[in-house]
Amino acid sequence: MSSEELAPLAAKVGGSLAAGPKTTILSVPPDKVIEACKGVASLPGWYHLSTISGMDLGQDIAILYHFWQGKRFIQVRTQVPKSAPRLKSITGDLAAGVLYEAEIQDLLGVAFEGNPYLGKKLLLPDIYPPDAPPPLRKDSDPEKIKRMMGLE
Amino acid sequence: MSNPSEKQAEAGAGLMQYSPEGMMPFGPVHPSLKEPEYFKLFLEGEKIVRVEPRIGYVHRGIERAAQERTWVKNIYMFERICGICSFHHSLAYTEGVEALAPFEIPRRAKYLRVVVAELERIHSHLLWLGLLGHWAGFDTLFMWIWKDREHILDLEEAISGNRVNKSYTTLGGVRNDLPDGLADKIRVEMGYIEKRVEYYKRLVQSEETIIVRTKGRGRINQEIARKLCPVGPLLRCTGIPRDIREEDPYAAYGEVPPQVQTSNEGDIGSLLTLRLNEITDSCRMVKEALEKMPAGPFRVNFPRSVPAGEATYHVEAPRGELFYFVKSAGGSVPERVKIRTSTLANILTATEMLKGHTLADVPVVLTGMDPCFGCMDRIAVVDVDKSKEWTVGGEALRKYGIEYYRRK
Repeated sequence: MSSEELAPLAAKVGGSLAAGPKTTILSVPPDKVIEACKGVASLPGWYHLSTISGMDLGQDIAILYHFWQGKRFIQVRTQVPKSAPRLKSITGDLAAGVLYEAEIQDLLGVAFEGNPYLGKKLLLPDIYPPDAPPPLRKDSDPEKIKRMMGLE
Repeated sequence: MSNPSEKQAEAGAGLMQYSPEGMMPFGPVHPSLKEPEYFKLFLEGEKIVRVEPRIGYVHRGIERAAQERTWVKNIYMFERICGICSFHHSLAYTEGVEALAPFEIPRRAKYLRVVVAELERIHSHLLWLGLLGHWAGFDTLFMWIWKDREHILDLEEAISGNRVNKSYTTLGGVRNDLPDGLADKIRVEMGYIEKRVEYYKRLVQSEETIIVRTKGRGRINQEIARKLCPVGPLLRCTGIPRDIREEDPYAAYGEVPPQVQTSNEGDIGSLLTLRLNEITDSCRMVKEALEKMPAGPFRVNFPRSVPAGEATYHVEAPRGELFYFVKSAGGSVPERVKIRTSTLANILTATEMLKGHTLADVPVVLTGMDPCFGCMDRIAVVDVDKSKEWTVGGEALRKYGIEYYRRK
């Protein structure tokens, strides 16, 4: 799927397109993520959601939805500020994202409204300190977290 | 719930009770397992109506640790994520990183990667089939198959020096060439495995224990597959012919393509035949790769710093799509590495496979998706009618399943 073929969807969701190796990147505002993901998943043969990734960018957290078909990926990309890390869950329309969103919630502290794991843990131990930063954020200190958990 | 730690446990998924004294409960964590999971089964009588997965027992923070290690050191850490498909982890990572650098990897290295990857697929599928025999109450099958699997592990050791964590692939190629005379031995062993697999194919289609426990069990269809996005044999058993080796070739798979195996049954029984057919095909591919393997170097020097950029990469591991996302900021360590293992993609589908079945089917159906079986050492059972909860050990559940079908 080339950038030209994705242009109508990008225009519809107010997104921008870029090309990377093997990947077409569709960057969208946070409130358009569901529409963009639904749009990609409804393209012929593009139903496969490989996973959802999260990245700490400093002030923001990037959320990447990776769809795959043939020799290409389509990456729907958005950013949420660390000060308000909330996003609507895509799981109402794309059930395959349930565990991937829950993983990002645990590791990067982004709440996905509508995900069945909202407020629950998938990967982290139940005794993970509620006041410690999520472990994959750059400002988290593993040694400090270990001490807070009483592991030293 | 007055105790704060109890409240905390309830606020979590509430599916397991960690003890503050010992971080991990006994059961899902075992030295022989690689991806323990924990399923909470909701029952109506004997029938499973809902399943909630809870994972993370051996989550080791590897993605975070990767950000503090050099590109090369990460190879050895990533292959320790899984004790069965260790090579596929290092392969997905190295090929992903290589995609960021303007280097052409020697063709011989690409062929050698195919040989080791297919040997790993063979031993992984054999391991699974043996375990399925164990859970179904056919331990002789388990013994036979694991003995045959040793032939493959010996070959892997002869190629790389190690049976499990092979450390064979590296940035820029592979660590060493094929030792002299080994190609002939590999061909002989492939012939042996092919013969054994033909026997196992006849066996699983005629042996009553296997048929009763697997036919029609854990059935899924294409609609579920398109909705929940399972990967690998679990996807192909519904009749969807998707295999990354064929659809998005990496290493030398473009020149040694697989014959994608599918089935239309979508049950555990069909997974048996499908995986056995994949072993036969892998034997063919190993021999073909040895035949076509070009002469020349097997490795080029690779820079310590990787150019800035992002690479999305995936390989067809024995259990299906293994996904790596690699981001470089141009330094000697990665900015971010995201890993999605095949089992994580398959867990939701496994919960669908369990619905409608009885507790006696749980070991075979869960093993059918090829997870790590540690999950079955600690299963919580909830009777929704009586609001009663208790736990069952893995061995007790295995015996219960065998007895259940013996009485039937």
